[in-house]
Amino acid sequence: MGFGGKKGTVSPSERNPSPRPKRRPKPIQKRKLKRKNVEELKQEVVLDDHRLTLEQLSAKYSVDLSRGHTPERAKGLLIQNGPNVLTPPPTTPEWVKFCKQLFGGFSLLLWTGAILCFVAYGIQLYFNEDPSKDNLYLGIVLAAVVIITGCFSYYQEAKSSKIMESFKNMVPQRALVIRGGEKMQILVKDVVLGDLVEVKGGDRIPADLRLISSQGCKVDNSSLTGESEPQSRSPDFTHENPLETRNICFFSTNCVEGTARGIVIATGDSTVMGRIASLTSGLAVGQTPIAAEIEHFIRLITMMALFFGVTFFGLSLILGYGWLEAVIFLIGIIVANVPEGLLATVTVCLTLTAKRMARKNCLVKNLEAVETLGSTSTICSDKTGTLTQNRMTVAHLWFDKTVYEADTSEEQIGKTFAKGSDTWSVLARIAGLCNRADFKTNQEHLPIAKRSTTGDASESALLKFIEQTYSSVTEMREKSPKVAEIPFNSTNKYQVSIHLREDSSQTHVLMMKGAPERILEFCSTFLLNGQEYPMDEEMAAAFQNAYLELGGLGERVLGFCFLNLPSMYAKGFPFNTDEINFSMDHLCFVGLISMIDPPRAAVPDAVSKCRSAGIKVIMVTGDHPITAKAIAKGVGIISEGSETAEDIAARLRIPVTQVDTRAVKAIVVHGSELKDMNSQQLDHILKNHTEIVFARTSPQQKLIIVEGCQRLGAIVAVTGDGVNDSPALKKADIGIAMGITGSDVSKQAADMILLDDNFASIVTGVEEGRLIFDNLKKSIAYTLTSNIPEITPFLMFVVLSIPLPLGTVTILCIDLGTDMVPAISLAYESAESDIMKRLPRNPKTENLVNNRLIGMAYGQIGMIQALAGFFTYFVILAENGFKPFDLLGIRLDWDDRFLNDLEDSYGQQWTYEQRKVVEFTCHTAFFISIVVVQWADLIICKTRRNSVFQQGMKNKVLIFGILEETFLAALLSYTPGMDLALRMYPLRIAWWFCAVPYSILIFIYDEIRKLIIRQRPGGWLERETYY
Amino acid sequence: RESFQPEPGEWKRFIYNPTSGEFLGRTAKSWGLILLFYLVFYGFLAALFTFTMWVMLQTLNDEVPKYRDQIPSPGLMVFPKPLSALEYTFSASDPSSYRGYIEDLRKFLKPYTLEEQKNLTVCPDGILSEQKGPVYVACQFPIFLLQACSGMSDPDFGYSQGSPCVLVKMNRIIGLKPEGTPRIECIPKDENVASISTYPNNGIIDLKYFPYYGKKLHVGYLQPLVAAQVIFSANSTKKEVTVECKIDGSPNLKNQDDRDKFLGRVAFKIIARA
Repeated sequence: MGFGGKKGTVSPSERNPSPRPKRRPKPIQKRKLKRKNVEELKQEVVLDDHRLTLEQLSAKYSVDLSRGHTPERAKGLLIQNGPNVLTPPPTTPEWVKFCKQLFGGFSLLLWTGAILCFVAYGIQLYFNEDPSKDNLYLGIVLAAVVIITGCFSYYQEAKSSKIMESFKNMVPQRALVIRGGEKMQILVKDVVLGDLVEVKGGDRIPADLRLISSQGCKVDNSSLTGESEPQSRSPDFTHENPLETRNICFFSTNCVEGTARGIVIATGDSTVMGRIASLTSGLAVGQTPIAAEIEHFIRLITMMALFFGVTFFGLSLILGYGWLEAVIFLIGIIVANVPEGLLATVTVCLTLTAKRMARKNCLVKNLEAVETLGSTSTICSDKTGTLTQNRMTVAHLWFDKTVYEADTSEEQIGKTFAKGSDTWSVLARIAGLCNRADFKTNQEHLPIAKRSTTGDASESALLKFIEQTYSSVTEMREKSPKVAEIPFNSTNKYQVSIHLREDSSQTHVLMMKGAPERILEFCSTFLLNGQEYPMDEEMAAAFQNAYLELGGLGERVLGFCFLNLPSMYAKGFPFNTDEINFSMDHLCFVGLISMIDPPRAAVPDAVSKCRSAGIKVIMVTGDHPITAKAIAKGVGIISEGSETAEDIAARLRIPVTQVDTRAVKAIVVHGSELKDMNSQQLDHILKNHTEIVFARTSPQQKLIIVEGCQRLGAIVAVTGDGVNDSPALKKADIGIAMGITGSDVSKQAADMILLDDNFASIVTGVEEGRLIFDNLKKSIAYTLTSNIPEITPFLMFVVLSIPLPLGTVTILCIDLGTDMVPAISLAYESAESDIMKRLPRNPKTENLVNNRLIGMAYGQIGMIQALAGFFTYFVILAENGFKPFDLLGIRLDWDDRFLNDLEDSYGQQWTYEQRKVVEFTCHTAFFISIVVVQWADLIICKTRRNSVFQQGMKNKVLIFGILEETFLAALLSYTPGMDLALRMYPLRIAWWFCAVPYSILIFIYDEIRKLIIRQRPGGWLERETYY
Repeated sequence: RESFQPEPGEWKRFIYNPTSGEFLGRTAKSWGLILLFYLVFYGFLAALFTFTMWVMLQTLNDEVPKYRDQIPSPGLMVFPKPLSALEYTFSASDPSSYRGYIEDLRKFLKPYTLEEQKNLTVCPDGILSEQKGPVYVACQFPIFLLQACSGMSDPDFGYSQGSPCVLVKMNRIIGLKPEGTPRIECIPKDENVASISTYPNNGIIDLKYFPYYGKKLHVGYLQPLVAAQVIFSANSTKKEVTVECKIDGSPNLKNQDDRDKFLGRVAFKIIARA
């Protein structure tokens, strides 16, 4: 039920004039159909049953409103419409998820590398009897790296994405229906359209119901709308909007108290909840920014690999190698370009940040989402519970013709007001006595503000306020016991209670509180400094002003008055509250108390931080525009001095249409206006206003707002706690659910959970996200640099025909051994400048890995590193008798197993094995040289702009990383047995120092480069080398 | 979300953009600057590398390598070296099948002819010829020591008779002083198939050829040789034998290493076809 235009009386164009296509006849393709359905689900709930009279209702569903369906008809309907359950979404099997981890993004690159290795080995095996097994081993190692990292990520994310399960849990099990005049308990899945259902306090609503009768029924709609207050339900049609009218109860919400009878108007997936569920699960989730970055990176690296590979393929053919050898070289070069350790490094860096964020109350469900918050340029925040404390608190009092401010801070310290006035004590007594809220027991140890109460939010607020600022309400109530009361109802809009007077226990006092304008009608006098004066024009005007002022702050205002009942109503008088038998006019007006759900203390600061970080904060709330605007102003979403068009119009006394729209930066958009907008108009609003509040929005509208922001290129974070928020949470680039108040569904749909529900934690998340983006750049720059000293040996082996300077084993020792910890340690690097003072990165132009980074890593630092390695290599060979020039062209002889009298530069002759030991010693030395130059590389990668001397060496993990890689290198070289296991040989101490000059060169070169960048911002060097 | 994959048209514009004059994403000036930068940068690196290499070469001694610990013990090698594995395949009746070998042998033995050796010293047998320099003399190795394999009596080194000669030599190592009385012992794997004659007798390597002082100092140095002649048994139909040679009689010359099959030993195969 509720699909656009499905049911007759309401024409869709009337309710929903948006230009989006609606239900077209017979979509051709299946995929199109699915897409269309999601579009359709995004439409507003169109429901007209709430306007129907009971007769119309009865006719529409052809059901008897007292006897219900006949069992036969119910059976028929059940077959016709299917059971009343939510269709579970097509779940992804675990193995598919696992495969996604194994074959997604970066892994694909490694797999390609591994396959190429096996191909190369296969070729060698086919044409050679006894090929070197290097390619085989490399392929196996690559595959192992992907599998291990894949398992790790899978394990990290195993808990997430169970989105529909919580929906399933929400489906109630049994329902009480009346069929054929008989009450019967049936399974909820058997409830059919038009069934007459009875619900009572504690039940879950079995389907969407249109109430036909109720007794004190209240429902908790929080799981649907996010409003935490129980709302009363009655058969009356009170609002056009089906979500707000009183006569509809929604599937899977809770009935808190009272009883009600209703007709089922929608079941299963067509219920409002079902629509949200299908909408959420039907939304296509986009790629995370970091995944896009990694894709971009892979393309760059692949291009580099192909460029190198093809160039040297051609070169080796020119040099006279055979086709087969050239193909092996091609594969070897392409594979050598694969940064084996980077996948693990990135995963670990993200995990570390996720852990760090979890400590700061941001629990990240999806590892890639860690960075998303850092790229965020727009935050769509819910109001209740995120920006506000989610508890009504007394904010202002008005008595003695003065407005007093109450303390709304979470800690309740500071502000005080005129407690000396007699009016205050009267007001406090009314607020305390004419109040049905009470503290729950056994909470004496808690501060008053934290205690939980029974009763509605306003009464609880008053109770806590009086307890805090006046005296114990319990004592007050003991001294003046209540003898009669008229509870609040929406027609009266007031509440009356009659108490014995404390001073003379024989007479009664009548106390009343309620909507201020209603209260004033009852009053003929007013209290000023404890004295009663007759009501006059001046007082009425003062009252009006105060009421408007407090109402304008978005606060809920209550009026208070009392009457000392004359002695004819002395103790023992039988008060009858149904047929009022006592005097209820000429009351004495005391004052007003206004309440609000106050903003959290940390929020204004957090919002201003977001603003200085270039992040637009948009408030999207289901609350009323006035309250929303007041809170938005309170927390700085609408900044001080900023005016909406309406404000300007009011100030200049001109019509709203004449306001210069260019001057308007702030806007409050009502859900009903939004409903009438097309996407261009929405884009216009989003583009041209910096301070936006959306009030009275529906779940579908939240989604439309998020899509609008994304259409403008923003990376959008959405916060929310209700089921209503879950489509927007899912659609957002990063959905942030509330850990304490959030519904399970919203938590499932979100990528991140704020454990303390505090908006300020998001700022921490943004900071961490931006930091990890910067630090990942550094990590990647560091890791990629050593690629050049790893590839060039093979290239020189091919081109110059020298003995191979660096083997596969040693390359793996670098990539998967010594480089790992230092690369990860860069994730612990602190920010270079205030990262919260710069704009969010532009995902189109500011990439994780760009040409400049590749240029720096490959073209500059990497080249210096390669020279360091070659220098060491030539030193070792020369010192053992093979001078550099004699090595050129020696390759074929050198690698000839049967040539065992190879002559060196001094006339000595070497067996194959003897010179291979020297060669492997060279590999080891080349490897250690890379470690030595990577020391310098690690230090220069700490910063991208600042000098290391400005940044300092405070990163202890990094220092540990340097020590660890050195120790590991020494271990690999000097451990006895390494010559057999990995063919690595001990080095002479002097050989460690060959690379040191190059290490120093790297450091000096980069310091100079960064110095020039700092001194000439925007200069050529910055444009070409700042990554 | 849109992907970053460029459209085909964009590729074309990437290669050459007529509006901005960009070629592969850069203007001519931009290309010029970046190429100049890398030219200077790599020029500087090349200079630096050359300099460090030059410094390193300065530290080297021209006569003796800095370290000799990687070759403490000499390898053993045969001559001539067949193209692939150490397998000599020939047919006595087909001179072209062994011409390569005997040409190699002739070339190799050229320095050993008496004329070439006449400037060399006649050294006393059986003792090391240790020298102090500055001039280092080389000892004569009279080629007739190789007897049947000297190429003097038989220019075909026995190949035409089906009894081929293979030279076995010990790798030169600067400063190596063998102890004891080193000799090379060659044995066929199957004694029924063939027997081996070694020349000089007993495959003796005289100590007077040691130590070696290096290519630069020790001009005209002649490496002592041992010839091994494989003589197939007349009654054996199989003309295929594996010969193993190793250094014997010297405690400081290793002939048994698990990994290095050529350290103080060598194995080769002779296949004589009809």
